[in-house]
Amino acid sequence: MKVRSLRLRLLLGAAAAVFVALSVSGIALTLLFERHIERRVEAELTNDARRLVAGLSVDAQGQPHASTLPADSRFAQPASGLYWQLSTPTAALKSHSLWDQSLPPFTRTPSDEWQTRTAAGPFDQELFLVQRVVRPDREGAPVLVQLAQDRALIGATRNEFARELALYLLVLWAVLAAAGWLQVELGLRPLGRLRKELAELNANPSARLASDHPPEVEPLTQAINALADAREKDLEAARRRAADLAHGLKTPLAALSAQSRRARAAGATEAADGLDRAIAAAGAAVEAELARARVARLRTIPKRAQTPALGAVERVVSVVERTDFGANRVFDVDVPPHVLLPLDADAATELLGPLIENAARHARRRVKITTRDGDVDGEEIAVEDDGPGLGGARPEDVLGRGARLDETASGHGLGLAIARDIAEASGGSLRIHSSELGGLRVSVRWPAGARPAESARQPAQAAE
Amino acid sequence: MRALVVEDDQVVGPDVAVALREAGFVVDLAVDGDEAWFRGDTEDYDLVILDLGLPRLDGLSVLRRWRGANRSFPILILSARADWTEKVEGIEAGADDYLAKPFEMGELVARSRALVRRAAGHTSAVVTLGALTLDTRRMSASVEGRQLRLSPLEFRFLDYLAHQPGRAVSAGELAEHLYGASDASDSNAIEALVTRLRRKLGPGVIGTRRGFGYLLEGHSQ
Repeated sequence: MKVRSLRLRLLLGAAAAVFVALSVSGIALTLLFERHIERRVEAELTNDARRLVAGLSVDAQGQPHASTLPADSRFAQPASGLYWQLSTPTAALKSHSLWDQSLPPFTRTPSDEWQTRTAAGPFDQELFLVQRVVRPDREGAPVLVQLAQDRALIGATRNEFARELALYLLVLWAVLAAAGWLQVELGLRPLGRLRKELAELNANPSARLASDHPPEVEPLTQAINALADAREKDLEAARRRAADLAHGLKTPLAALSAQSRRARAAGATEAADGLDRAIAAAGAAVEAELARARVARLRTIPKRAQTPALGAVERVVSVVERTDFGANRVFDVDVPPHVLLPLDADAATELLGPLIENAARHARRRVKITTRDGDVDGEEIAVEDDGPGLGGARPEDVLGRGARLDETASGHGLGLAIARDIAEASGGSLRIHSSELGGLRVSVRWPAGARPAESARQPAQAAE
Repeated sequence: MRALVVEDDQVVGPDVAVALREAGFVVDLAVDGDEAWFRGDTEDYDLVILDLGLPRLDGLSVLRRWRGANRSFPILILSARADWTEKVEGIEAGADDYLAKPFEMGELVARSRALVRRAAGHTSAVVTLGALTLDTRRMSASVEGRQLRLSPLEFRFLDYLAHQPGRAVSAGELAEHLYGASDASDSNAIEALVTRLRRKLGPGVIGTRRGFGYLLEGHSQ
């Protein structure tokens, strides 16, 4: 939108500037051309005048005679626009073209030099005159020699020239405007790329504008990148504050629950029950907020992050084996050492933690962890148990946030939902099936070439 | 039974101390990391309850220093964070169990008792069988000096075999011992357990006598 209007401004500006420049030069060229024609006419008239003067004589009565006349036939044709006249103080000799009219009388100081002037003449014509005073005999009367041409002839030539020039300039204007359009197109092309990169930045907060923009755009891209950095930092700080707040509430909640126990011991059972309900609600809200913060942090998984699956599985198993319910389970880890998960180490731990803990909680004896390393089909990791399984429940119910397979088992139901968020943030998907061992088989699968940034979507909101 | 409770919160710390005293422990209370480290380093405890978010010196550092100085008392971590990365860090630093806040006091007491029972249930601290050494207090094993961390189940499995010198023990008997009761499907679990242990211990430690069962190779040769 903005770019389009910028383009229009540049185009209109260029077209107008070129038009003004061409108009000025058109007028100037026409004026120059007119002066040039006048000089040509002056030269021709002076030449004809010299012929007249060469054969000029004055008799005793003061009547001028010309023995050599200019050759141009228009001098013989009445009102043709080309005239000559030889005048003494007493008499005059004129070309036939003047018929019974006369050239305008001499108004300036007579001069021995050829002079030019413009004056109104006979037949309603505006005349361009060349004139001079000569004395054929030293004692004889001075003779005023005048030759004139109608200015309309000069004007017609000039107008014809101006018309042709205008046509040419119009074509030139069109060519220059097209060149201007091309220049604007080429000049604005980097802005189009900038727009595309901005759209990407909008979709993915960790993307940045490229650093190879033209120097004129560079300050802009730098400013935008700085802004994006600041925004990301603010977001990160806000998340951290929310997480810190949630963490900070945990110890006071533990203290409150101690108070509740004391109240119960002192016989205030009803008050203790109310307190316990409030503590449970606050605790659930805190857990949800922490889960949200954790998933948000893990969503910024770097592209192409990879973590050895075996190491991540063993780390989580080493924790789960120390829990009450994990202490008596066999962890059957069948993961080749070369299998890599498309996650960073933290995300892999947070993904596998709930899956393995959940399986251990519901298993009877065994938890089996397997991977499939598909170079073609993508990676898969699966956690199975030999527990009671779904027992008729639908997989969607298990995955619903806060839902638990076994409502009586103590453990927060956020686990599987968090695991699913992490799986999806990294371009994978989480599925629940029945296991051959008898219990559940929860698997996370990443299609071949899954790239976290491309499949990024807004994080699902953690349940309250 | 001496227990050290390390917790900086002015309500939770004393509350845990009271609950443990009621359960028969003699309890010391430390309120920051420096004090905790000093006490744990100079006195013998049967149990330590360690909060991770401590002033002056954080809980994980205290834990690492103790384990670095070969202090082997069982440690139960209290954590305000619920993420797995921290749990993993705690266990890898040498903790024996963790409990996320907020917790039920009854559960804390039960876990504390279980930890003490695990560590104290053996008369001799160290059993050596050929290349394999079992440390019954730390519930750890080493093979030719290489330290291994074992799960309670794995440890009980090895401990049971170690006390049946030279005899091949059947899967059924092992399941009976490990789970209290057994059915036919449990032999699969025992098989998986042996596979996992063999991977940890390396070859030549757990032997199989076809038709009879499993035994530790250090005995027969």
